Amino acid sequence: MQKRSFACVALAAFAAAALVGCQKTATSGSSVTSGSTATSTSTAATLPTIRYLNFKPEIADAYAGIAEAYKKETGNTVIVDTAASGTYEATLKAKMPTKEAPALFQINGPVGYANWKEYCADLTDSDFYKALTDKTLAVTDAGKAYGVPYTVEGYGIIYNNAILTKYFALANKAVSDTSMATINTFAKLKALADDVQAKAATLGIDGAFAGTSLKDGEQWRWQTHLFNMPIYGEYGKVSSVQDNFTFKYAAQYKNVFDMYVNDSGDKKATLATLDVNASMAEFAMGQCAFVQNGNWAASQILKVEGETVKSDDIKFMPIYSGLDHAGAAAYDETKQGLCVGTENFLSVNKKLTADEQKAAIAFANWLYTGNGKSYVTKSVTDGGLSFIAPFKDMASPSDPLSKEVMNWMSKDGVTSVPWDFATIPSENVKNTLGAGLLAYVNGSMTDALWKSGVVDATTAKWTSEAALLKTSSVAA
Amino acid sequence: METQNKPTPYAREFEVQKRRRDAPFFEKHAHAGKTIVKVLDYVILCLLTLTTFYPILLVILNSFKNRYTISKKPFDWLNSSNFVGWSNYAKGINQSKFWNAFANSVYITVVSVILILLLSAMAAWYLTRVKTWWTKTLYYLFVFSMIIPFQMVMLPLTGVFGWLMPSDLPSDTGYLYKIFITVLVYIGYGAGLSTFIFSGFIQGIPKEVEEAAMIDGCNTPQVFFRIDLPLLKPVTVTVAVLNVMWIWNDFLLPYLLLGTRAGETTLPVAIQIANQGGYGDINMGAFMAMIVLSILPVIIFYIIGQKYIIKGVTAGAVKG
Amino acid sequence: MEQSIILRSLKGEKREMAKYYKKWFPLFVLPLLICFAFFVILPFGMGFFFSFTKYKTIADCTWTGWTNYALAFSGDSTFWHAFGMTVAFVIVTMLIINVCAYLLALLLTKGLKGTSFFRAIFFMPNLIGGIVLGYIWNLLLNGILLQFDQNLTSKVSYGFWGLVLLTCWQQIGYMMVIYIAAINGVPNEVLESAKIDGASRFKTTTHVLLPMTLPAITICSFMTLTNGFKLYDQNLALNGRTSPDNMLLALDIYSTMFNAGDGNMGPGQAKAVVFFFMVALISYAQVSLSKKGETEA
Repeated sequence: MQKRSFACVALAAFAAAALVGCQKTATSGSSVTSGSTATSTSTAATLPTIRYLNFKPEIADAYAGIAEAYKKETGNTVIVDTAASGTYEATLKAKMPTKEAPALFQINGPVGYANWKEYCADLTDSDFYKALTDKTLAVTDAGKAYGVPYTVEGYGIIYNNAILTKYFALANKAVSDTSMATINTFAKLKALADDVQAKAATLGIDGAFAGTSLKDGEQWRWQTHLFNMPIYGEYGKVSSVQDNFTFKYAAQYKNVFDMYVNDSGDKKATLATLDVNASMAEFAMGQCAFVQNGNWAASQILKVEGETVKSDDIKFMPIYSGLDHAGAAAYDETKQGLCVGTENFLSVNKKLTADEQKAAIAFANWLYTGNGKSYVTKSVTDGGLSFIAPFKDMASPSDPLSKEVMNWMSKDGVTSVPWDFATIPSENVKNTLGAGLLAYVNGSMTDALWKSGVVDATTAKWTSEAALLKTSSVAA
Repeated sequence: METQNKPTPYAREFEVQKRRRDAPFFEKHAHAGKTIVKVLDYVILCLLTLTTFYPILLVILNSFKNRYTISKKPFDWLNSSNFVGWSNYAKGINQSKFWNAFANSVYITVVSVILILLLSAMAAWYLTRVKTWWTKTLYYLFVFSMIIPFQMVMLPLTGVFGWLMPSDLPSDTGYLYKIFITVLVYIGYGAGLSTFIFSGFIQGIPKEVEEAAMIDGCNTPQVFFRIDLPLLKPVTVTVAVLNVMWIWNDFLLPYLLLGTRAGETTLPVAIQIANQGGYGDINMGAFMAMIVLSILPVIIFYIIGQKYIIKGVTAGAVKG
Repeated sequence: MEQSIILRSLKGEKREMAKYYKKWFPLFVLPLLICFAFFVILPFGMGFFFSFTKYKTIADCTWTGWTNYALAFSGDSTFWHAFGMTVAFVIVTMLIINVCAYLLALLLTKGLKGTSFFRAIFFMPNLIGGIVLGYIWNLLLNGILLQFDQNLTSKVSYGFWGLVLLTCWQQIGYMMVIYIAAINGVPNEVLESAKIDGASRFKTTTHVLLPMTLPAITICSFMTLTNGFKLYDQNLALNGRTSPDNMLLALDIYSTMFNAGDGNMGPGQAKAVVFFFMVALISYAQVSLSKKGETEA
């Protein structure tokens, strides 16, 4: 998942920590000697103790169990440190020059790779890279792999199958489709949503879509996830920051956004104070039929007190937006899948000794292709990581949405949409878009507001922020 | 008066007349006859009291409601569908490690204020008594620091703070060291106003008293601690009140220096974190409960010490 | 008698007294000085320095001269909008708070029963911290506006007046307490003589009380002025941190610093230095004005 924009804390800590970092990098060379402590009982060739800097605080405890199991089996020690939410970059910057430099760490994609190039070892020959089901997902440079995705996530429009089955059974429904299987374009989706909204009372719900959360800091679903669609339409799959963005598919983006806002039981004035949790709760309590979010929302939905939607009824569908191009190539919307990607790529620290790098790769191999596999997909309550791990012979986690993601990923004739939003130049661009959307909704949703506040403001901000990125020196 | 057990009617009347005579002007001439005006006055006062309390009552009301109904219907009274009892409080305390944040706030405020009082009084005394070019400069520097807005120094301050952080700080208890350094930072920032106020007061203490003490054989610290410090008691209350109010409620400084990990930072930061949840973690109900819990100690403290607080504020303003 | 002879003979040795104190500097001044110099003066100097550089971390900075200042004041910058908002905000709150506080103080010096009770009540809002206050009022104002199908972000003016309302609620009690003390401090004889001269209550207030409580009015005006300029916590909690429309200066500076696209904190720091000069100017103006007032009085 993308990192939260706690840029303030991260930067403050980074300003503080970078000092220490800067001073030490000047003096320490490239190799940091770590004690290669042989562990007590094993008879196998023992590798040095290494550290792994974990990104997700919610599964920190699970890693403790995993490290123990690894030690029991192989005798090698892995110390798992966890960075606090939103502080990964800062913590990594602080730890890299010290004796506690992690041998295994993560980068968030091409932009992260640009920042950490000097530290990323070549993983093309490692077992766990070779086990990837889709090698195009990895972070590569000149044909060599430097970051291996260890979990993928998918997002799309979640729908409540029970409500929709009820809808399709209605005698007076306006659409001709009889099940969700034939809803495969934006036009069909809109017709469906409009009609569900119209017949909300009959279906016993408040509206078609859940509330479009626009509260301060809660607009990430629209300023990154939904925004992904017009970016994909304009550029196709990209892995580096583009200098300009013309928002060619602004109209399509607007169509989807308008649908979310208009075909909903929530009053427009309440959206500015609505948070994502409340929005998911509406879906969980059966008050609406659709909500846009990702597979991580499954536990959220199922944990809501008073939730009535059944696990089996929670299904995914792609965010059909009416795209006709993906970059230069023509695009067939009916073959669109969920938006699948990741911001979690494993990298090995090239600046440590060869043995330590070997140890890191050995651990990753064990976890993702060896006996550690069961831990990867077990649920968090069972001491597992609950990842959708894109490796051969990996089971899928047990929550309904993860199953749906794997379903869609393996469907014939359907290709997932990549996560292009990782290449948005900066938080400022996202915030400008979010602010524009809020003003648009507050201001009776006029076309003029859309053009000036959303389209023009965002494209201008994109260009200026991209230019700033170019002139800034890449932090090492 | 003191020699009699029961005041005679004459003595009682004397006291009443005395009080009337010395009362502030308008009390003396309060017209008992203008009852309409009086009633109006009371009505206005009661209305204003209501407006003072209303926002707080609203939050208390909402802290008992279901988290999903709070933003949509904040004014609704409690009914069977939105009442959740104490669960918001339980959740709020757990997820934000409220007691840790509270303890941190108490520690930082109490220790900082005590040290500020002591060190500023000492420095103010020295700067006032010893007149050299550099004590004068120092004094003006302290006064000058009162106008520096925090935004100007916050970034370099985080850098300076970082210089003092050893690289091998343990991840679970390391924050205690950070809190200790934060106390030192607060001493630095509280120095300006406190020294200024103490200095003004010390100028009013005649030097002869100190000199007499010296003749009696006190050395310098004894002169200060035995003679001056007791005399400074009234203004100490003022300085203490002003500093407590500022440090307890301060948000930006602990946010930047102590970070946002639950349990490692102060109360205001804990509240801000609770409203900044990542990826849909805001629990409005727990948030309301946390707000109530953070106001409670302040109100209790105020009820107990309200006389001193108001006195302190008045005196401080007159001086400043 | 004996004492005074001794003291008089000591007068000649007064300078020695101070010299005797002098060597105690390490104990008395040094601890405070260290904290002060290291955490206040040093960052202040660094702040000045960094405003002329492009810097991401303390160790990695390049001199750029006046570029940051140019950037901060360019048409693209949010600085002027925030500045305008802040000036408007300060003027409005200064007026409302001081007028209301003074009126309340008049009400509470009439000798009504329960004066100290009401005084305590009205002062209480001042104790509640900025962040908490902002969120309390966020709930209240959004709730009210929702009845009209609006919210705090619908119009910039809603956010502005909401902030004014919050600030007044918080500070009127504080200023009122000071005014009460000032009004009670007016000597009775002056008011008695005014009453004897047949002045109405209104005339007494305007021609006697106001001039005699002028120092308090100056102090309170100054405090509301600087509080308004430096407002941050309440602004952050009430108006949020993404939309720049309702940001006052302090929040705008913070946002510029930490949301910089390329991590360059130089422009934000430049804005902060300008901010410092503004506050310094106002303080200086207040001090000299009040000094003038005092000498006249």
